[in-house]
Amino acid sequence: MRWLGYVVRRLLMAVLVLVSVSIVTFVIARVIPSDPAAAWVGPHPTPAQIAKAREELALDRPLYEQYLRYVTALLRGDFGTSVKSHQPISRDLRNYLPATMELVLAAMLVAVVVGVPLGVLSGARKGSLFDHLTRLASVAGVSVPTFWLALLLQLLFFAKLRLLPLGSRISNELALYNPIRQITGMYTLDSILTGNWAGLRDTLVHLILPALTLATYPIGLAIRMTRSTMLEVLSERYILAARAAGISERAILFVLALKNAIIPTITVLGLSFVYSLTGAMLVEVIFSWPGLGTYLTDAVLNIDFPVIVTVTLVVTVFYVVVNLILDLVQAALDPRVTLR
Amino acid sequence: MSEPLLSVEELQVRFQTYAGRVHAVNGMTFEVGRGEFFGLVGESGCGKSVTGLAILGMIPRGGAVASGRIRFHGEDLLTKSDAQMRAIRGRHIAMIFQDPAATLNPVFTIGSQIVRVIRQHTSISPEEARRRALETLDAVALPDPPRIFRAYPHELSGGMQQRVMIAMALSCGAELLIADEPTTALDVTIQAQILGLLAEIRRRQGVSILLITHNLGVVAETCDRVAVAYAGRVVEVGRVEDVLFRPVHPYTQGLLAALPRAGQAKESLLSIPGSVPDGLALPSGCAFHPRCASAVELCRSGEPALTVVGPDGHRVACHLFRREGAA
Repeated sequence: MRWLGYVVRRLLMAVLVLVSVSIVTFVIARVIPSDPAAAWVGPHPTPAQIAKAREELALDRPLYEQYLRYVTALLRGDFGTSVKSHQPISRDLRNYLPATMELVLAAMLVAVVVGVPLGVLSGARKGSLFDHLTRLASVAGVSVPTFWLALLLQLLFFAKLRLLPLGSRISNELALYNPIRQITGMYTLDSILTGNWAGLRDTLVHLILPALTLATYPIGLAIRMTRSTMLEVLSERYILAARAAGISERAILFVLALKNAIIPTITVLGLSFVYSLTGAMLVEVIFSWPGLGTYLTDAVLNIDFPVIVTVTLVVTVFYVVVNLILDLVQAALDPRVTLR
Repeated sequence: MSEPLLSVEELQVRFQTYAGRVHAVNGMTFEVGRGEFFGLVGESGCGKSVTGLAILGMIPRGGAVASGRIRFHGEDLLTKSDAQMRAIRGRHIAMIFQDPAATLNPVFTIGSQIVRVIRQHTSISPEEARRRALETLDAVALPDPPRIFRAYPHELSGGMQQRVMIAMALSCGAELLIADEPTTALDVTIQAQILGLLAEIRRRQGVSILLITHNLGVVAETCDRVAVAYAGRVVEVGRVEDVLFRPVHPYTQGLLAALPRAGQAKESLLSIPGSVPDGLALPSGCAFHPRCASAVELCRSGEPALTVVGPDGHRVACHLFRREGAA
C-alpha cells in the first residue's frame, strides 16, 4: 500500500490548509466596513434592534472567540445561518452544491470526450486542414463569451427549433407527476438509482444546453493541452519504435502516445472543474440553474458573510481533494512518479 | 549466392527542406543474404539510418524515395501499401535502435509492450501471447523473465533494455533484424554482450541482421560482409576480411587509418581532411573527390560505378582503381 500513507499525510496537510483558509476568510469578512448585525435585522432598524442582534450573533465578543464559536459549530456540521434569508446554510448547500456538481461534471465529461480525441488527432495530423480547423475551434472555445453563446443556443434550440427547454433543472410536469427522489441531489444520478427513466430523460434534456455552454472553455483547453503534449510525445523514439514494430496507428495514438500525453490535460481540467464550481455563475443565471456560483454572488452582494465563508471553505475542500486525486492519477499513469 | 533475402538497388531518398532539396541517399546498393550478418558502415549523415527506415517504409516526414528498389523475398517493398508494410514491420522485418531507454515506452510494462506486438501480428489469446513473451525474454538471456515482464523500462539497466528490445523484435519470428547503432549508447562491456547476443541469435534462429553503425571495430567483430557508405552511396562492399584488411577505396583506407590503436603514439592519429559533404550540395562526380589525396580530373566529372575488384564480390566504386586495373 504505497498510496495509503501518502494519502493520509496529504489529508493531514489539507486540514492545515482548511484552518488557514477559514481564518483568512473569517477575518476578511469581519474587517470589511459593513455591519452584519444591521443586515441581520433588515431595513430601517432601531439602534436597540441592532444592539440586540449584535449580542445574538456574538458580534460583541473578541474576534478569536467568534472564530472559535464558528469552528466549533462547523465541526458539528452547523455552517451557520444566512444573514439574508435566515435559513441554515447547510440546507442551502444541500440544494446548490449537487446542482452545480451535476452541471460542472457534465461539462467536464463533454470536455474530455470531445476535447481529448480532437487534440490527439489534431496533433497527429499537424499542419493539415483538420488541424487548422480544430485549433480554430479551440481558440474559439476558450475566448467566446459564455453569456453570448448561452443566449445564442437558447435562441436556436428553444426559440427556433423548440427542441430543448429554456432553463431550470427539471420541468414542472415532472416535478408534479414523477418527482425524482433525492439521494445525492444530482438528478441524473438519483433518477438512475431510483429507476426513474422519465426523470432521467427530463434531467438530461435540461442539462444539455448549460453543460455544452459551460464545456466550451474546457473543450478548448483540452484540445490545446492534448495537442501540444501529443506533438511532443509523437516525436519520441518509442513511438518510432512502435511504428517499426507494426503497431496500428490507432493504438499508437490513443493508447501508446495518449497515456504519455494525457497528464497535463487531466491537470488543467481538474483545476478548471474546481474553478467552475463557483465560476459558472453566468451560465447558472442564464439557464436558471440553482447553483453555487449564483448563491455565492448573491451572498457577496448582500455581505452575507457566513455564506461567503462557508462557500469558500467548501471550494477549498474541493480544491484540496481534487489536487490529491490529480496527483494519485498521475502516479497511476506514470510509474516513474514517486509519491512522497 | 542464391537469391538474397534483402536487396537494396540504386536507392535514392530526397528530403524537401526550407533550405532546399537534401540528397540523403544517392544510389545505395547492397544485398543481405539469408542468415547473414551484414554491416552498413559510415559516418553520421551518410544516409545509413535513412536507408534502414526506408526498408521499413518509414522515411521521416518531408522525405521520399525518388528512385530505386528495395526487394525483400524478391518482392519490391516500395510498391506495398501502408497496410501491407505495417503487416511486414515487426512480423518479417524488425528494427532496434540506439538508446534503448528512449525506445521503450516509459508508462507501460515490458510485458504489455511485447504482448502488444505479438497480438498485433497474430491472433493468439492473451495467455498464449504472455507465454510467448516470457519465452522470448528467456531467449535473450534475461534473468527471471516473469519479473522483467512486470517491470517498467526505467527499472532496468541499459543492457537489459536493449535485450528487451531484441526480444520484442524477435517475438514474431522476424527474418530480418535491422539494428541501427544498437550498442552506441551502452558501456563497452555491455556492447560486447549485446553483439554476442545478436551473433548467437543469428546462429540459433538463422535470422539475417543488417547492422548499421559508424564503428568499424563492431563490424570487424561481428559481420560477415560489410558495405562502406559515403554521401548516400556504397563506395566499397565485400567480405569483412577483404574490405577491412585489404581496403581499396581511399575513403575506406582513410577510415581505417583514422582508427586509434592501443599503444599508438598520440601524434600519429590520422584524420581525413575536410568534412562530410552537405546533402544540399553534393560534389560533382565522385562525392569523395574534394577530400581525396589521389583524386584526378575524371573524379570531378564522372560518378564511379561499383566494380568487382576481388574474390567473393569485393566491389569498389572508384575511378582510380579502375584506371589502375585497366593499366
